[in-house]
Amino acid sequence: MSLRQRLLLLFSLTVAAAVAAVAWTVLVRIRHVFEQRDQEETTLFVSQFQREFQHRSAETAAAVDRLASTEHVRAIAFEIVQSGDAAPYLTEAPVLAQESQLDFLEIITPDGNVVSSAQWPARFGYPEPAAKETGQAAFLKREDLPDGSTALGLFAVRSIHGAEPSIRLVGGRRVDRQFLADLPVAPGMQVALYSVPPPGANATQNAFDTKQLVGTAGDLPDAERYGSLVESALKTGQQQTALIDLTGQRENSANVTAIPLKDQAGNVLAVLLVALSRAGMVEAQQHIRAIAYGVASGGILLAIAFSLWIAARVSRPIEQLAHAAEEVAAGNWDARAPEQGNDEIGKLARSFNHMTAQLATQREQLVQSERVAAWRELARRLAHELKNPLFPLQLTVENLVRARALPESEFDEVFRESTATLGAEIANLKTIIGRFSDFSKMPKPELERIDAKDVLERVRSLYQATAAGEAQIDFVLHIARDPMPLMVDPELLHRALSNLVLNAMDAMPNGGQLTLAAQPVEDKIELRIADTGQGLTPEECERLFTPYYTTKLHGTGLGLAIVQSVVNDHGGTIAVESHTGSGATFIITLPKATA
Amino acid sequence: MFRRFAISCVLLLVALQSGARTRPHYGGTLRIETEGDPWQQPSGIARRLVYDGLTRIDAAGSVQSALATGWEADSGNHRWEFHLRPVVHFHDGSSLTAAAVVASLNLSCTANCPWSAVHAVGSSIVFTNDAPMPNLPALLAGDDFLIEAVGSAEGSAPQANVGTGAFQVASSASGQLALKANEAGWQGRPFADTIEIRSHRAVRDQWLDLSLGKTDVVEVPAELIRQAQQQKMVVVVAPAAELLAVQVSETGALSNPQLRAAIACSVDRAPLANVIFQKQGEAVASVLPQSLSGDAFLFPVDRDLNKSHALRGGLTAPALTFAADTDAIMQLAAQRIVLNLREAGFNATVTGTAATQHADLTLRRIPLQGGSSSAVLDQVLRAAGETQLGTASNPAALYKAEHTFLEQHTLIPLVDLPRAYALGPRVRDLHLNAGGMPDLADASLGDTP
Repeated sequence: MSLRQRLLLLFSLTVAAAVAAVAWTVLVRIRHVFEQRDQEETTLFVSQFQREFQHRSAETAAAVDRLASTEHVRAIAFEIVQSGDAAPYLTEAPVLAQESQLDFLEIITPDGNVVSSAQWPARFGYPEPAAKETGQAAFLKREDLPDGSTALGLFAVRSIHGAEPSIRLVGGRRVDRQFLADLPVAPGMQVALYSVPPPGANATQNAFDTKQLVGTAGDLPDAERYGSLVESALKTGQQQTALIDLTGQRENSANVTAIPLKDQAGNVLAVLLVALSRAGMVEAQQHIRAIAYGVASGGILLAIAFSLWIAARVSRPIEQLAHAAEEVAAGNWDARAPEQGNDEIGKLARSFNHMTAQLATQREQLVQSERVAAWRELARRLAHELKNPLFPLQLTVENLVRARALPESEFDEVFRESTATLGAEIANLKTIIGRFSDFSKMPKPELERIDAKDVLERVRSLYQATAAGEAQIDFVLHIARDPMPLMVDPELLHRALSNLVLNAMDAMPNGGQLTLAAQPVEDKIELRIADTGQGLTPEECERLFTPYYTTKLHGTGLGLAIVQSVVNDHGGTIAVESHTGSGATFIITLPKATA
Repeated sequence: MFRRFAISCVLLLVALQSGARTRPHYGGTLRIETEGDPWQQPSGIARRLVYDGLTRIDAAGSVQSALATGWEADSGNHRWEFHLRPVVHFHDGSSLTAAAVVASLNLSCTANCPWSAVHAVGSSIVFTNDAPMPNLPALLAGDDFLIEAVGSAEGSAPQANVGTGAFQVASSASGQLALKANEAGWQGRPFADTIEIRSHRAVRDQWLDLSLGKTDVVEVPAELIRQAQQQKMVVVVAPAAELLAVQVSETGALSNPQLRAAIACSVDRAPLANVIFQKQGEAVASVLPQSLSGDAFLFPVDRDLNKSHALRGGLTAPALTFAADTDAIMQLAAQRIVLNLREAGFNATVTGTAATQHADLTLRRIPLQGGSSSAVLDQVLRAAGETQLGTASNPAALYKAEHTFLEQHTLIPLVDLPRAYALGPRVRDLHLNAGGMPDLADASLGDTP
């Protein structure tokens, strides 16, 4: 990963983490504020609803009050008291109830018996216990109906003025679906009523029964979701509030308050459910969250772009410096880093350029020195190589001069011997000159696709007999089974390998083992030529491929230089591993030919 | 002297004028309003005007001749022969024959008839039965057995509502039925020329029309008699014209007689008579009214809830269905009885119509059409679905027969109800017959005040 990428990643992650942290904090805070407002709103609406409920109770009480004050009702009461005959008024209650818009109305005698009942006309003559609650505020009561069912109602009891002993009216309004529908509700608010089954009904008193729960539009869908809240309100007799998830989606959840409605004795007769939808709040939250996500994403993208610019600005001089260093490393000593600014990078660039310039100068000087040294070495080699044949030539010529004085027969014999010696030494000189000529004129490789195995087999077949005969050297071949294709000049590679084999044989005058090995290593082919000779010192290893360096008595020092040249020409490398006394191993690595 | 003469003349004129107003006048249109259908069987108000029976019950409860001029039975009352009145014609002009009478009787009585066979013999109609029929003449006076033309003499299709009565159908349209006097009636011409019957009118509307002079005769239900009298309306009342009773099914949930007896004991009759029917009815536990039999007091009317519980003996009866007419007063009475039953441990539900065939309990109004005690008992037994009618000939046997019938607890008598009508100022001489129906043929119209 480049410096620019790392800088970009670092900047981006830092900015993204910061933006995410800010966004999360904002969202959590917003959610908390919304929840708090939701709770406050629910409390407000529930209290408003309770006030409205109380208002309805007061209305019911007022309606019964007004009815008890009418002349007609007072006349009825007077007649009943005076005559003691209530029968003529059997059907009065339904008429009065209709006029007063009351759902329930009963006229009660002083002894507490029903004279007329709007809700159950056949109940005349039966006692009505609720008649004892005269003068009190409206209260909740469960009323039995002729069909065997019960109905909840808000009731008020009032004595009819002027009649003594007093005739009473027990009037009320149903607390049912219509009652709920008539109550003013805020947008998003839903109300429902759970009627507790009367004692003796099949249902258990505190067990939730979905059939008993009705909303303003009839049966409530998913009524069972309210079960635990209703049961809790029934059990405790206290107002309970809970968050109820209606469909599994958060926007369809509601803050539901269960208000137990009790009769005069404190028994819970019904539970009023006030549900305030959280859809608006959730929608607002989602809207804010979407905006936050959008802003955060934009911020992160902007931060990435800014980071890209910053990273580029910071890393570009370093990249240029690195590029310049690479150029220098590749041998381009003229490469220079741009010197911009006066900061650390600028100073570094200037220092680099200065250092490079100095290195180039020193290298030039070193090359000059090495060139001189090479020439000296060449001169020394040439002198050494040429001096050896020149001395016999000189002796032979001097001997031939002296033999001029000998008799002709002896001279002829000396002449023949001297000319033979001269010819041999001159041939020796030609050989020396030829080698130098070969080194200076290495041919350009003519590449062919061959297998490394074939190359090694060819070398072994050439030298195995010779090595086994005189030097008692064993040839060992380790070749991998996988194909090892090479694009090389077979003759040049053969010559290089032959050179290494001959060196190895030379290193084992008393016999030993010569190992030829080939194996693929990743996308390269590795060739090894190992001997079990005396080995090389580290200094020898270091200088081994230097031209004209040799450890042999009669070597030219050009063999390994030629081998290295051949290997380099094929894009490969050559290395030596050796320890004194444990033989040497030459490792040639060549690129594997592509298919 | 002159002063005396003048006063005498004025008094004479007033007396003459008064006499003129009280004399029956021929002519005029008598207007009646009813809540029900005038043709509704058995006691639709038009039926008695258009049709006649073989016999009739007079105001005193005696059987009188009508389309039959005389009748005789064999010694065991198994065979009765009724002699048809001669020269009587239906409104369409066809003659009343014994065959026509038999055809009409066969049409009106398809099941649970008091006879097993009826056939014409010359100008006589012969009824036969395996069991004795001592009250057949009184039964034939009932609304069930009025004679109508079911086929003309020429064999053409019969016209609807053709009888031999004092009035014949003139027109019928949109709830208003017009009857005109039958000039050739065997019983003579009625006083009124026409009678207009406006049907399906609510009682309150009828009363309003009466007060506005738009009608002459309106219905007064038993529970409103008191109110009508308080409003100074002219009300004619026939006491004990109907028996309010609960008919109990012998099959199904109440096949156990103990449960039926428990139900009978649980009903509180007094509130029904005193409150629902405003003291216009008489709480009874007997089939026959006290005024007829004289022994109704022997049947206790008081509620005995303890006995009811004892009779039920812990048996849990399944939910019962209680059928009653849809009119408000019958529904109220039914609801009250259900309330009584609930206290006795029975769970009953009131249904909206008395026509429910499979109801466990049915609240019924059974007409008491008059006649002898024995005849009235037969009427009630027949209305209750009994096929074995009474043969009692003396009060003791009659009491025993009534008691035996009530012991089955298939009919629980509750209240004897009156039938009443309110009359307008023009109506003269309108009386109710033994069954409580107005005898319009004898009524006349006075001058409009």
